[in-house]
Amino acid sequence: MDALVLAAEWFIGLFKTGGDVFVSLVVGIVPLLIVLLTFVNALVALIGPEKIDKVGEWAARDGIIYYPVRYILLPFLAVFFLTNPMAYTMGRFLPEKYKPAFYDSAVSYVHPPLGIFPHINPGELFVWLGIAAGIEALGYSVVPLAVWYLIVGLIVIFIRGIVTERITAIMWARREAK
Amino acid sequence: MNKFLVKIGRGVGGVVGALYQAGRESIDQVVVNILPFMAFIALMIGIILKTGIGDWIANLLAPLAGSLIGLLILSAIIALPVLSPLLGPGAVIAQIIGTLLGSTLIANGDIPARFALPALFAINPQVGCDFIPVGLALGEAEPETVEVGVPAVLFSRLITGPVSVLIAFLFMPLLPYE
Repeated sequence: MDALVLAAEWFIGLFKTGGDVFVSLVVGIVPLLIVLLTFVNALVALIGPEKIDKVGEWAARDGIIYYPVRYILLPFLAVFFLTNPMAYTMGRFLPEKYKPAFYDSAVSYVHPPLGIFPHINPGELFVWLGIAAGIEALGYSVVPLAVWYLIVGLIVIFIRGIVTERITAIMWARREAK
Repeated sequence: MNKFLVKIGRGVGGVVGALYQAGRESIDQVVVNILPFMAFIALMIGIILKTGIGDWIANLLAPLAGSLIGLLILSAIIALPVLSPLLGPGAVIAQIIGTLLGSTLIANGDIPARFALPALFAINPQVGCDFIPVGLALGEAEPETVEVGVPAVLFSRLITGPVSVLIAFLFMPLLPYE
């Protein structure tokens, strides 16, 4: 009987710890999240997401100075205003040869801003929150990590766009040769 | 005067309406996307902490997560073109690995807190790899573009996955953590 009680206690204990974790997540994260999401949702609605169409047309041009527009500015604005997955519709402004690279660049930026702009991808928040929770447990502020994740993310999507554009060009040439 | 009042009324009504709609959206996002994932993560963390599986996984991940070479290897494995589309959906794998790293290795101080930045990139080189055809279709890409674009993005990740870890590693000293 004692063994049974012990086993039952252990079994319930599993979920008690989980419940405590859930409460800490809901109390610690959800209130800020709701207010922040409301603010950004309203901001996007008031500015009007169609405003960024111009940047899309701008990013379509050839020439080396348009690389940062195409693989930093456009992906950033697209994920900020249109969020995941509608951000990828901005690819329609670009010539075919740039579309895979733009997609690669934009999709790689749906996580790096999550520490500051969670509205971009609320369903995948824990890519950021999981690791940030460890920093919080150590008693540090997570804000520096959030800021550097956002900045390094921009550098990474820029490189990713350029590399994927090159690879696409090479594969396209090979296909034509066949 | 009357016209002026009507104009003010419309303007205020528009802003209040947008804010209210934004609030409704943010509550929707929390209930539909965020709370269910928090429940799942809480259950997982509870079981991991209580059963000691956490120590076991932490021992397994520690050599990979605690050094530059380890993180590069981790990112290269996740970026393999056969694996990356399988690991992509819903970013579930990235969220689980991130939570494991955060709540065990980083929270316990087994790996330096600064490693959080490169780790955020190391767990995520597969981002969007499951979604390339759909993402390109959202950008109104031609079928040939999709045919070239899918392998182009997948191969690009083999290069840019580890590169992203390396860049984050270079920025790591800027974090104000021990």
